[in-house]
Amino acid sequence: MKDLVRQNLSIHVEIMDLLNKQIEKEAHSSSAYLAMASWCDHNALDNSAKFFYDQSLEEREHMIKIFRFINDNGGTAYSPEVSKIAHDFNSLEEIFETALEQEIAITKSIHNIVYKCRKVQDLASEHFLQWFVNEQMEEEQTMRRILELFDLMGTEGLGLKLLDERIPGIKGGA
Amino acid sequence: MRILDQSRFFSSYQCDGSRCFYIDFNHKTVKMSFCQLLSFRQKLLNIDLDSHFNGENSQGIEILMLCNKEHLFIFNTLEILDLKKLLNNTFTALEINSMIAC
Repeated sequence: MKDLVRQNLSIHVEIMDLLNKQIEKEAHSSSAYLAMASWCDHNALDNSAKFFYDQSLEEREHMIKIFRFINDNGGTAYSPEVSKIAHDFNSLEEIFETALEQEIAITKSIHNIVYKCRKVQDLASEHFLQWFVNEQMEEEQTMRRILELFDLMGTEGLGLKLLDERIPGIKGGA
Repeated sequence: MRILDQSRFFSSYQCDGSRCFYIDFNHKTVKMSFCQLLSFRQKLLNIDLDSHFNGENSQGIEILMLCNKEHLFIFNTLEILDLKKLLNNTFTALEINSMIAC
């Protein structure tokens, strides 16, 4: 019997399912960052707002990267539905803490797919995901660096304003 | 055509000549490309079976459109359970075939 699955699909079916789940997570992450950007805009934290707008775009790019990988390799990528986005926050510190937790969850999810790739011997997908493993380390590092600033500069008044001004220099320089 | 799996109500086949799959829905046989088979599988995976038992889907009916809206099927709870089993076993058979082909 011909191996029609392999003729049509270069990646493992279960990995395709997990990558589709990852698309949902990246889309959720992108929308969550938009909500954070909106909160920052309303609270006159312009630099933090720009940071989250950029983060939102970046998560969407990650999503598209996975989306295209699935389709380019013969699978079917599914456009995700996004719901349950939090819009209410108590402080900028809470926002960055939530952002760090979100990044950690994404990292764990990527790692789990890599483990599964090894189990089913899907080397192509594992190689593809290596970029995400490195990217997630940088994302976590950025959020952690910003949270450290709250310890140094405080969470309100002038300290908060000064911290907001430091935000543009952190990404990439973390 | 080679049989991949047979459940209580349905059967799945692979045809090497046309490089396609066939699902026998008892009263109707549907030809599917691999891409369409994947899409069918996804539709089944998305069905929330709990809703058939907790009152949310009190009729216990699912309407599925297959192969880019070419076919429309109405299934009851038992048939959905059977289809889920069929597709699961079909993909297991395909995976075993891939392993043997390696």
